[in-house]
Amino acid sequence: MVHDALAATNAVVTLDVALPSVIWGWIITMNMWAKSIGTGIIFVAFYMLKKYPNEAGFIRLPTAIISFIFINMFLLFTVIDLHQMFRFWHIFFHPNFTSAITVGAWMATLFMGLLMGLLYASFIKKDTALFDKILLPTVILAVPVTLYTAGLMAQSTARELWQMPTESVQMILAATLSGSAVMLLIANKLPYEARRDLGLVLAFSGSAAFIIYMAELVFGPMKAEEVAVTLEAIKGHGEYTSMFWIGQVLGFILPTVLVILSVTNRTEGLLKLAAVSALVGLWITKHVWLVIPQLLNLS
Amino acid sequence: MQLGFLVDLHMCMGCKGCEVACKVENEVPLSTWRLRVKYVDTGVFPETKRTFTPLRCNHCANAPCVRICPVSALHYLDNGIVNIDNERCIGCAGCMMACPYGAIYIDPQTQTADKCTYCAHRIASSMMPACVVACPVQANIFGDLDDATSNISKYIMDAGSDLQVRKPEKGTFPHHFYVGGGNVTLNPLASFRAEGHSLFNNLTHLPVGGH
Repeated sequence: MVHDALAATNAVVTLDVALPSVIWGWIITMNMWAKSIGTGIIFVAFYMLKKYPNEAGFIRLPTAIISFIFINMFLLFTVIDLHQMFRFWHIFFHPNFTSAITVGAWMATLFMGLLMGLLYASFIKKDTALFDKILLPTVILAVPVTLYTAGLMAQSTARELWQMPTESVQMILAATLSGSAVMLLIANKLPYEARRDLGLVLAFSGSAAFIIYMAELVFGPMKAEEVAVTLEAIKGHGEYTSMFWIGQVLGFILPTVLVILSVTNRTEGLLKLAAVSALVGLWITKHVWLVIPQLLNLS
Repeated sequence: MQLGFLVDLHMCMGCKGCEVACKVENEVPLSTWRLRVKYVDTGVFPETKRTFTPLRCNHCANAPCVRICPVSALHYLDNGIVNIDNERCIGCAGCMMACPYGAIYIDPQTQTADKCTYCAHRIASSMMPACVVACPVQANIFGDLDDATSNISKYIMDAGSDLQVRKPEKGTFPHHFYVGGGNVTLNPLASFRAEGHSLFNNLTHLPVGGH
Protein backbone atom coordinates (compact mmCIF):
# COMPACT_ATOMS: atom_id res chain seq x y z
CA MET A 1 0.00 0.00 0.00
CA VAL A 2 2.45 2.62 -1.02
CA HIS A 3 2.20 5.10 -3.80
CA ASP A 4 3.58 8.47 -2.92
CA ALA A 5 6.59 7.24 -0.96
CA LEU A 6 9.91 8.49 -2.19
CA ALA A 7 12.85 6.13 -2.14
CA ALA A 8 14.98 8.98 -0.85
CA THR A 9 12.91 9.37 2.32
CA ASN A 10 12.63 5.62 2.83
CA ALA A 11 9.56 6.22 4.99
CA VAL A 12 8.41 3.07 6.76
CA VAL A 13 5.63 2.62 9.30
CA THR A 14 7.35 1.01 12.26
CA LEU A 15 4.62 1.08 14.87
CA ASP A 16 0.91 1.42 14.44
CA VAL A 17 -2.32 -0.29 15.29
CA ALA A 18 -3.82 -2.99 13.10
CA LEU A 19 -6.16 -1.63 10.45
CA PRO A 20 -9.83 -2.57 10.21
CA SER A 21 -10.50 -5.21 7.61
CA VAL A 22 -13.31 -5.06 5.04
CA ILE A 23 -16.36 -3.36 6.55
CA TRP A 24 -18.99 -3.85 3.85
CA GLY A 25 -18.55 -7.37 2.47
CA TRP A 26 -20.63 -9.99 0.68
CA ILE A 27 -23.85 -9.03 2.48
CA ILE A 28 -23.78 -5.61 0.85
CA THR A 29 -22.88 -7.24 -2.47
CA MET A 30 -26.01 -9.38 -2.12
CA ASN A 31 -27.95 -6.24 -1.25
CA MET A 32 -26.88 -4.44 -4.44
CA TRP A 33 -27.25 -7.51 -6.66
CA ALA A 34 -30.74 -8.32 -5.41
CA LYS A 35 -31.86 -4.71 -5.78
CA SER A 36 -30.61 -4.65 -9.37
CA ILE A 37 -32.84 -7.61 -10.18
CA GLY A 38 -35.78 -6.26 -8.18
CA THR A 39 -35.90 -2.92 -9.98
CA GLY A 40 -34.42 -4.09 -13.28
CA ILE A 41 -37.21 -6.55 -13.97
CA ILE A 42 -39.73 -3.72 -13.50
CA PHE A 43 -37.97 -1.62 -16.15
CA VAL A 44 -37.80 -4.53 -18.56
CA ALA A 45 -41.40 -5.62 -17.96
CA PHE A 46 -42.60 -2.08 -18.64
CA TYR A 47 -40.72 -2.08 -21.93
CA MET A 48 -42.09 -5.50 -22.91
CA LEU A 49 -45.68 -4.56 -22.05
CA LYS A 50 -45.45 -1.36 -24.09
CA LYS A 51 -43.83 -2.94 -27.12
CA TYR A 52 -45.57 -6.33 -27.10
CA PRO A 53 -48.87 -5.65 -25.26
CA ASN A 54 -50.61 -8.76 -26.56
CA GLU A 55 -47.81 -11.31 -26.43
CA ALA A 56 -46.25 -10.15 -23.14
CA GLY A 57 -49.41 -9.93 -21.02
CA PHE A 58 -48.54 -13.09 -19.09
CA ILE A 59 -45.38 -11.54 -17.57
CA ARG A 60 -47.35 -9.31 -15.20
CA LEU A 61 -47.68 -11.78 -12.33
CA PRO A 62 -44.16 -13.30 -12.58
CA THR A 63 -42.69 -9.79 -12.74
CA ALA A 64 -44.50 -8.73 -9.58
CA ILE A 65 -43.49 -11.92 -7.76
CA ILE A 66 -39.83 -11.75 -8.75
CA SER A 67 -39.49 -8.07 -7.99
CA PHE A 68 -41.20 -8.60 -4.63
CA ILE A 69 -38.87 -11.48 -3.74
CA PHE A 70 -35.67 -9.69 -4.73
CA ILE A 71 -36.59 -6.37 -3.12
CA ASN A 72 -37.33 -8.31 0.06
CA MET A 73 -33.95 -10.01 -0.29
CA PHE A 74 -32.37 -6.58 -0.70
CA LEU A 75 -34.11 -5.33 2.45
CA LEU A 76 -33.19 -8.46 4.37
CA PHE A 77 -29.49 -8.11 3.51
CA THR A 78 -29.67 -4.41 4.35
CA VAL A 79 -30.96 -5.21 7.81
CA ILE A 80 -28.72 -8.17 8.60
CA ASP A 81 -25.63 -6.14 7.77
CA LEU A 82 -26.44 -3.73 10.57
CA HIS A 83 -24.48 -4.32 13.74
CA GLN A 84 -27.64 -3.33 15.64
CA MET A 85 -30.27 -4.80 13.34
CA PHE A 86 -33.09 -4.51 15.88
CA ARG A 87 -32.67 -0.75 15.81
CA PHE A 88 -33.55 -0.60 12.13
CA TRP A 89 -36.73 1.27 13.02
CA HIS A 90 -34.60 4.27 14.06
CA ILE A 91 -34.36 5.11 10.35
CA PHE A 92 -38.07 5.82 10.32
CA PHE A 93 -38.38 7.48 13.72
CA HIS A 94 -35.06 9.38 13.88
CA PRO A 95 -34.44 10.00 10.17
CA ASN A 96 -31.59 12.13 8.88
CA PHE A 97 -32.60 13.09 5.36
CA THR A 98 -29.13 14.19 4.30
CA SER A 99 -28.21 10.51 4.34
CA ALA A 100 -28.69 8.44 1.20
CA ILE A 101 -29.34 5.46 3.49
CA THR A 102 -32.39 7.16 4.98
CA VAL A 103 -33.75 8.42 1.67
CA GLY A 104 -33.20 4.97 0.18
CA ALA A 105 -34.93 3.19 3.03
CA TRP A 106 -38.00 5.40 2.71
CA MET A 107 -38.13 5.02 -1.06
CA ALA A 108 -37.64 1.27 -0.88
CA THR A 109 -40.50 1.03 1.61
CA LEU A 110 -42.76 2.99 -0.71
CA PHE A 111 -41.59 0.85 -3.60
CA MET A 112 -42.48 -2.25 -1.63
CA GLY A 113 -45.98 -0.85 -1.16
CA LEU A 114 -46.36 -0.41 -4.91
CA LEU A 115 -45.08 -3.95 -5.50
CA MET A 116 -47.75 -5.25 -3.16
CA GLY A 117 -50.21 -3.28 -5.24
CA LEU A 118 -48.93 -5.01 -8.37
CA LEU A 119 -49.28 -8.38 -6.66
CA TYR A 120 -52.80 -7.53 -5.57
CA ALA A 121 -53.77 -6.44 -9.09
CA SER A 122 -52.23 -9.45 -10.84
CA PHE A 123 -52.77 -12.26 -8.33
CA ILE A 124 -55.93 -11.45 -6.40
CA LYS A 125 -57.92 -9.06 -8.59
CA LYS A 126 -56.47 -10.32 -11.89
CA ASP A 127 -57.07 -6.82 -13.21
CA THR A 128 -54.60 -5.89 -15.96
CA ALA A 129 -55.84 -2.30 -16.19
CA LEU A 130 -55.21 -1.78 -12.47
CA PHE A 131 -51.80 -3.47 -12.80
CA ASP A 132 -50.80 -1.15 -15.64
CA LYS A 133 -52.04 1.86 -13.68
CA ILE A 134 -49.82 0.93 -10.72
CA LEU A 135 -46.91 -0.07 -12.95
CA LEU A 136 -46.18 3.46 -14.17
CA PRO A 137 -45.47 4.98 -10.72
CA THR A 138 -43.59 1.78 -9.86
CA VAL A 139 -41.29 2.27 -12.85
CA ILE A 140 -40.77 5.93 -11.96
CA LEU A 141 -39.94 5.10 -8.35
CA ALA A 142 -37.70 2.24 -9.45
CA VAL A 143 -35.28 4.81 -10.90
CA PRO A 144 -34.36 6.55 -7.61
CA VAL A 145 -34.51 3.22 -5.75
CA THR A 146 -31.92 1.93 -8.20
CA LEU A 147 -29.82 5.07 -7.96
CA TYR A 148 -29.76 5.73 -4.23
CA THR A 149 -26.96 3.21 -3.62
CA ALA A 150 -24.84 5.26 -6.00
CA GLY A 151 -25.68 8.27 -3.84
CA LEU A 152 -24.57 6.34 -0.78
CA MET A 153 -21.31 5.40 -2.48
CA ALA A 154 -20.79 9.04 -3.42
CA GLN A 155 -21.34 10.05 0.20
CA SER A 156 -18.67 7.54 1.20
CA THR A 157 -16.05 10.28 1.02
CA ALA A 158 -13.26 7.99 2.13
CA ARG A 159 -13.67 5.73 -0.91
CA GLU A 160 -12.42 7.82 -3.79
CA LEU A 161 -13.02 5.06 -6.33
CA TRP A 162 -16.80 5.44 -6.10
CA GLN A 163 -17.63 8.55 -8.04
CA MET A 164 -20.83 10.19 -9.15
CA PRO A 165 -22.23 10.10 -11.79
CA THR A 166 -20.31 6.99 -12.87
CA GLU A 167 -21.80 4.83 -10.14
CA SER A 168 -25.35 5.92 -10.97
CA VAL A 169 -24.84 4.90 -14.60
CA GLN A 170 -23.42 1.57 -13.44
CA MET A 171 -26.43 1.05 -11.15
CA ILE A 172 -28.90 1.61 -13.98
CA LEU A 173 -26.89 -0.64 -16.31
CA ALA A 174 -26.74 -3.34 -13.63
CA ALA A 175 -30.53 -3.12 -13.31
CA THR A 176 -31.21 -3.40 -17.04
CA LEU A 177 -28.60 -6.16 -17.35
CA SER A 178 -29.99 -8.27 -14.53
CA GLY A 179 -33.63 -7.43 -15.31
CA SER A 180 -33.30 -8.56 -18.92
CA ALA A 181 -31.32 -11.63 -17.83
CA VAL A 182 -34.01 -12.75 -15.39
CA MET A 183 -36.76 -12.03 -17.91
CA LEU A 184 -34.95 -14.18 -20.47
CA LEU A 185 -34.84 -17.01 -17.95
CA ILE A 186 -38.52 -16.90 -16.97
CA ALA A 187 -40.40 -15.72 -20.06
CA ASN A 188 -40.06 -18.64 -22.44
CA LYS A 189 -43.42 -17.92 -24.01
CA LEU A 190 -42.35 -14.54 -25.36
CA PRO A 191 -42.05 -14.41 -29.16
CA TYR A 192 -38.57 -14.54 -30.68
CA GLU A 193 -38.56 -10.81 -31.46
CA ALA A 194 -39.25 -9.96 -27.82
CA ARG A 195 -36.54 -12.34 -26.60
CA ARG A 196 -34.12 -10.90 -29.14
CA ASP A 197 -34.93 -7.43 -27.78
CA LEU A 198 -34.19 -8.64 -24.27
CA GLY A 199 -30.90 -10.06 -25.51
CA LEU A 200 -30.02 -6.73 -27.07
CA VAL A 201 -30.80 -4.88 -23.83
CA LEU A 202 -28.57 -7.40 -22.04
CA ALA A 203 -25.74 -6.97 -24.55
CA PHE A 204 -25.97 -3.18 -24.58
CA SER A 205 -25.99 -2.99 -20.77
CA GLY A 206 -23.08 -5.41 -20.49
CA SER A 207 -20.91 -3.73 -23.09
CA ALA A 208 -21.62 -0.22 -21.73
CA ALA A 209 -20.80 -1.33 -18.17
CA PHE A 210 -17.60 -2.98 -19.40
CA ILE A 211 -16.50 0.17 -21.25
CA ILE A 212 -17.04 2.28 -18.12
CA TYR A 213 -15.11 -0.14 -15.90
CA MET A 214 -12.24 -0.17 -18.38
CA ALA A 215 -12.26 3.62 -18.58
CA GLU A 216 -12.05 3.82 -14.78
CA LEU A 217 -9.28 1.23 -14.75
CA VAL A 218 -7.17 3.15 -17.27
CA PHE A 219 -7.97 6.79 -16.55
CA GLY A 220 -8.95 6.74 -12.86
CA PRO A 221 -5.36 6.52 -11.59
CA MET A 222 -4.43 9.62 -13.58
CA LYS A 223 -6.80 11.75 -11.52
CA ALA A 224 -6.37 10.76 -7.91
CA GLU A 225 -3.66 9.14 -5.84
CA GLU A 226 -6.14 7.14 -3.77
CA VAL A 227 -7.81 5.73 -6.88
CA ALA A 228 -4.42 4.69 -8.22
CA VAL A 229 -3.60 2.83 -5.01
CA THR A 230 -7.06 1.25 -4.87
CA LEU A 231 -6.87 -0.02 -8.44
CA GLU A 232 -3.54 -1.70 -7.76
CA ALA A 233 -5.66 -4.41 -6.13
CA ILE A 234 -7.04 -5.40 -9.54
CA LYS A 235 -3.94 -4.81 -11.66
CA GLY A 236 -0.99 -7.11 -12.25
CA HIS A 237 -0.69 -9.53 -9.36
CA GLY A 238 -3.23 -7.64 -7.25
CA GLU A 239 -5.23 -9.42 -4.59
CA TYR A 240 -8.47 -9.17 -6.62
CA THR A 241 -7.13 -9.16 -10.20
CA SER A 242 -8.38 -12.64 -11.08
CA MET A 243 -11.77 -12.09 -9.49
CA PHE A 244 -12.17 -8.75 -11.26
CA TRP A 245 -11.47 -10.22 -14.69
CA ILE A 246 -13.66 -13.27 -14.07
CA GLY A 247 -16.45 -10.82 -13.24
CA GLN A 248 -15.83 -8.75 -16.35
CA VAL A 249 -15.77 -11.80 -18.62
CA LEU A 250 -18.80 -13.54 -17.12
CA GLY A 251 -20.80 -10.40 -16.50
CA PHE A 252 -20.21 -8.39 -19.61
CA ILE A 253 -17.95 -9.83 -22.32
CA LEU A 254 -19.34 -13.37 -22.58
CA PRO A 255 -23.02 -12.33 -22.47
CA THR A 256 -22.41 -9.74 -25.19
CA VAL A 257 -20.67 -12.29 -27.42
CA LEU A 258 -23.37 -14.91 -26.78
CA VAL A 259 -26.15 -12.45 -27.63
CA ILE A 260 -24.42 -11.50 -30.87
CA LEU A 261 -24.03 -15.19 -31.75
CA SER A 262 -27.63 -15.86 -30.79
CA VAL A 263 -29.00 -13.01 -32.89
CA THR A 264 -26.90 -13.88 -35.92
CA ASN A 265 -27.68 -17.61 -35.71
CA ARG A 266 -31.18 -17.31 -34.21
CA THR A 267 -30.11 -19.70 -31.44
CA GLU A 268 -32.29 -19.02 -28.41
CA GLY A 269 -30.44 -21.38 -26.09
CA LEU A 270 -27.46 -19.05 -26.10
CA LEU A 271 -29.62 -16.29 -24.67
CA LYS A 272 -30.25 -18.31 -21.52
CA LEU A 273 -26.57 -19.04 -21.17
CA ALA A 274 -25.85 -15.32 -21.58
CA ALA A 275 -28.44 -14.53 -18.90
CA VAL A 276 -26.96 -16.91 -16.33
CA SER A 277 -23.44 -15.73 -17.07
CA ALA A 278 -24.47 -12.09 -16.71
CA LEU A 279 -26.10 -12.65 -13.32
CA VAL A 280 -23.08 -14.52 -11.94
CA GLY A 281 -20.59 -12.04 -13.38
CA LEU A 282 -22.53 -9.05 -12.10
CA TRP A 283 -22.34 -10.36 -8.53
CA ILE A 284 -18.59 -10.90 -8.80
CA THR A 285 -17.98 -7.49 -10.36
CA LYS A 286 -20.08 -5.69 -7.77
CA HIS A 287 -18.25 -7.51 -4.99
CA VAL A 288 -14.79 -6.59 -6.23
CA TRP A 289 -15.75 -2.96 -6.77
CA LEU A 290 -17.25 -2.85 -3.28
CA VAL A 291 -14.30 -4.38 -1.49
CA ILE A 292 -11.18 -2.91 -3.09
CA PRO A 293 -11.58 0.68 -1.84
CA GLN A 294 -11.84 -0.72 1.65
CA LEU A 295 -8.32 -2.11 1.41
CA LEU A 296 -6.96 1.43 1.32
CA ASN A 297 -5.17 2.61 4.43
CA LEU A 298 -6.87 5.86 5.45
CA SER A 299 -4.64 7.09 8.24
CA MET B 1 -17.66 28.57 20.45
CA GLN B 2 -15.75 26.27 18.15
CA LEU B 3 -13.49 23.85 19.93
CA GLY B 4 -10.42 22.63 18.12
CA PHE B 5 -7.21 20.71 18.52
CA LEU B 6 -3.66 21.36 17.49
CA VAL B 7 -0.76 18.93 17.79
CA ASP B 8 2.74 20.31 17.71
CA LEU B 9 4.67 17.48 16.13
CA HIS B 10 7.96 19.21 16.99
CA MET B 11 7.12 18.47 20.62
CA CYS B 12 5.60 14.98 20.41
CA MET B 13 8.03 12.28 21.51
CA GLY B 14 5.76 9.29 20.91
CA CYS B 15 5.33 8.33 24.56
CA LYS B 16 1.74 7.23 23.87
CA GLY B 17 0.62 8.78 27.14
CA CYS B 18 -2.31 10.38 25.30
CA GLU B 19 -3.26 7.05 23.75
CA VAL B 20 -3.31 5.29 27.10
CA ALA B 21 -5.14 8.16 28.84
CA CYS B 22 -7.81 8.08 26.15
CA LYS B 23 -8.22 4.32 26.49
CA VAL B 24 -8.65 4.59 30.24
CA GLU B 25 -10.87 7.68 30.28
CA ASN B 26 -13.27 6.40 27.64
CA GLU B 27 -12.99 2.67 28.39
CA VAL B 28 -12.09 2.00 24.79
CA PRO B 29 -12.23 -1.79 24.24
CA LEU B 30 -9.33 -3.94 23.15
CA SER B 31 -8.51 -3.82 19.43
CA THR B 32 -10.06 -0.38 18.99
CA TRP B 33 -8.63 3.12 19.37
CA ARG B 34 -10.04 6.63 19.50
CA LEU B 35 -6.56 8.07 19.49
CA ARG B 36 -3.36 6.43 18.41
CA VAL B 37 0.21 7.50 17.83
CA LYS B 38 1.76 6.24 14.62
CA TYR B 39 5.52 5.89 14.23
CA VAL B 40 7.07 6.41 10.82
CA ASP B 41 10.82 6.05 10.33
CA THR B 42 12.60 7.86 7.53
CA GLY B 43 16.08 7.77 6.06
CA VAL B 44 18.77 5.10 5.91
CA PHE B 45 20.98 4.09 8.84
CA PRO B 46 22.79 5.95 10.35
CA GLU B 47 20.92 8.99 8.97
CA THR B 48 17.49 8.05 10.27
CA LYS B 49 14.67 9.87 11.95
CA ARG B 50 11.54 8.68 13.72
CA THR B 51 8.36 10.72 13.47
CA PHE B 52 5.33 10.47 15.77
CA THR B 53 1.82 11.41 14.71
CA PRO B 54 -1.15 11.32 17.08
CA LEU B 55 -4.26 10.52 15.00
CA ARG B 56 -7.82 11.11 16.17
CA CYS B 57 -11.16 12.38 14.87
CA ASN B 58 -10.78 15.75 13.12
CA HIS B 59 -14.21 17.09 14.16
CA CYS B 60 -14.68 18.48 10.67
CA ALA B 61 -16.78 21.55 9.95
CA ASN B 62 -18.19 19.66 6.95
CA ALA B 63 -18.23 16.19 8.49
CA PRO B 64 -19.02 13.38 6.01
CA CYS B 65 -19.93 11.11 8.93
CA VAL B 66 -22.67 13.48 10.12
CA ARG B 67 -24.03 13.73 6.58
CA ILE B 68 -24.15 9.97 5.94
CA CYS B 69 -25.46 8.86 9.34
CA PRO B 70 -29.05 7.74 8.67
CA VAL B 71 -30.29 8.33 12.20
CA SER B 72 -28.31 11.43 13.28
CA ALA B 73 -26.39 9.37 15.83
CA LEU B 74 -23.45 11.48 14.72
CA HIS B 75 -24.28 15.09 15.38
CA TYR B 76 -22.75 18.45 16.20
CA LEU B 77 -22.73 19.86 19.71
CA ASP B 78 -23.07 23.61 20.18
CA ASN B 79 -19.33 23.84 20.88
CA GLY B 80 -18.51 22.32 17.46
CA ILE B 81 -17.68 18.82 18.70
CA VAL B 82 -18.85 15.99 16.45
CA ASN B 83 -20.48 13.76 19.03
CA ILE B 84 -22.01 10.28 18.77
CA ASP B 85 -25.11 8.87 20.41
CA ASN B 86 -24.50 5.14 20.92
CA GLU B 87 -28.11 4.52 21.88
CA ARG B 88 -29.32 5.78 18.52
CA CYS B 89 -26.61 4.24 16.28
CA ILE B 90 -27.82 1.28 14.20
CA GLY B 91 -24.32 0.10 13.28
CA CYS B 92 -24.65 0.50 9.52
CA ALA B 93 -20.97 1.54 9.31
CA GLY B 94 -21.79 4.24 6.79
CA CYS B 95 -19.70 6.65 8.87
CA MET B 96 -16.71 4.31 8.58
CA MET B 97 -17.09 4.40 4.81
CA ALA B 98 -17.36 8.18 4.82
CA CYS B 99 -14.64 9.25 7.24
CA PRO B 100 -11.51 9.94 5.15
CA TYR B 101 -9.36 9.68 8.25
CA GLY B 102 -10.33 6.21 9.42
CA ALA B 103 -11.21 7.71 12.79
CA ILE B 104 -14.40 5.72 13.45
CA TYR B 105 -14.63 2.13 14.61
CA ILE B 106 -17.33 -0.35 15.60
CA ASP B 107 -17.17 -0.92 19.34
CA PRO B 108 -17.08 -4.72 19.73
CA GLN B 109 -18.99 -4.52 23.01
CA THR B 110 -21.84 -2.18 22.10
CA GLN B 111 -21.84 -3.05 18.37
CA THR B 112 -22.17 0.64 17.58
CA ALA B 113 -19.90 3.18 15.94
CA ASP B 114 -17.62 5.15 18.21
CA LYS B 115 -14.84 7.68 17.96
CA CYS B 116 -13.01 10.52 19.70
CA THR B 117 -15.45 13.08 21.08
CA TYR B 118 -12.74 15.45 22.37
CA CYS B 119 -13.87 14.01 25.73
CA ALA B 120 -17.18 15.90 25.45
CA HIS B 121 -18.20 14.66 28.90
CA ARG B 122 -15.10 16.24 30.44
CA ILE B 123 -15.59 19.47 28.49
CA ALA B 124 -19.11 19.66 29.89
CA SER B 125 -17.54 19.64 33.35
CA SER B 126 -14.99 22.33 32.37
CA MET B 127 -12.13 19.84 32.21
CA MET B 128 -9.60 19.34 29.45
CA PRO B 129 -9.66 16.17 27.32
CA ALA B 130 -7.79 13.29 28.94
CA CYS B 131 -5.09 13.24 26.25
CA VAL B 132 -4.28 16.91 26.82
CA VAL B 133 -3.85 16.37 30.53
CA ALA B 134 -1.67 13.30 30.01
CA CYS B 135 0.76 14.84 27.50
CA PRO B 136 4.07 15.47 29.33
CA VAL B 137 5.31 18.06 26.83
CA GLN B 138 2.08 19.92 26.06
CA ALA B 139 2.15 18.86 22.42
CA ASN B 140 -1.66 18.73 22.44
CA ILE B 141 -3.16 22.21 22.37
CA PHE B 142 -6.91 22.38 22.88
CA GLY B 143 -9.24 25.36 22.99
CA ASP B 144 -11.74 27.69 21.40
CA LEU B 145 -10.93 28.58 17.82
CA ASP B 146 -13.42 31.44 17.91
CA ASP B 147 -11.55 33.11 20.74
CA ALA B 148 -8.56 35.03 19.35
CA THR B 149 -6.96 35.10 22.79
CA SER B 150 -7.09 31.34 23.35
CA ASN B 151 -3.88 29.36 23.41
CA ILE B 152 -4.79 27.42 20.28
CA SER B 153 -5.62 30.60 18.34
CA LYS B 154 -2.29 32.15 19.29
CA TYR B 155 -0.50 28.94 18.28
CA ILE B 156 -2.25 28.98 14.92
CA MET B 157 -1.33 32.61 14.31
CA ASP B 158 2.31 31.93 15.16
CA ALA B 159 2.50 28.75 13.09
CA GLY B 160 1.79 30.47 9.79
CA SER B 161 2.55 28.22 6.84
CA ASP B 162 3.70 25.45 9.18
CA LEU B 163 0.05 24.81 10.04
CA GLN B 164 -1.51 21.81 8.29
CA VAL B 165 -4.59 19.62 8.30
CA ARG B 166 -4.94 16.08 7.02
CA LYS B 167 -6.33 15.61 3.50
CA PRO B 168 -7.45 19.21 2.89
CA GLU B 169 -8.50 18.18 -0.62
CA LYS B 170 -11.48 16.31 0.84
CA GLY B 171 -13.18 19.59 1.74
CA THR B 172 -14.02 18.46 5.25
CA PHE B 173 -12.43 21.52 6.93
CA PRO B 174 -11.00 19.75 9.99
CA HIS B 175 -10.90 21.48 13.35
CA HIS B 176 -7.77 19.50 14.12
CA PHE B 177 -4.45 21.01 13.11
CA TYR B 178 -0.83 19.93 13.03
CA VAL B 179 2.29 22.02 13.32
CA GLY B 180 5.56 20.55 12.10
CA GLY B 181 3.90 17.88 9.98
CA GLY B 182 4.83 16.79 6.50
CA ASN B 183 3.88 14.43 3.75
CA VAL B 184 5.29 11.44 5.58
CA THR B 185 3.47 12.16 8.83
CA LEU B 186 0.10 13.28 7.47
CA ASN B 187 -0.31 11.32 4.22
CA PRO B 188 -0.83 7.60 4.87
CA LEU B 189 0.14 6.79 1.30
CA ALA B 190 3.56 8.41 1.67
CA SER B 191 5.06 5.70 3.81
CA PHE B 192 5.65 2.02 3.24
CA ARG B 193 3.46 -0.20 5.36
CA ALA B 194 4.77 -3.72 5.15
CA GLU B 195 2.91 -6.81 6.24
CA GLY B 196 3.94 -7.48 9.82
CA HIS B 197 5.06 -3.86 10.09
CA SER B 198 4.58 -3.49 13.80
CA LEU B 199 7.52 -3.54 16.19
CA PHE B 200 5.59 -5.62 18.66
CA ASN B 201 3.29 -7.93 16.75
CA ASN B 202 2.38 -9.27 13.34
CA LEU B 203 -1.25 -8.26 13.32
CA THR B 204 -2.02 -6.04 10.35
CA HIS B 205 -5.80 -6.23 10.07
CA LEU B 206 -8.56 -6.84 12.56
CA PRO B 207 -12.08 -8.03 11.84
CA VAL B 208 -14.74 -5.38 12.30
CA GLY B 209 -16.73 -6.24 15.43
CA GLY B 210 -19.71 -8.51 14.93
CA HIS B 211 -19.03 -9.69 11.37
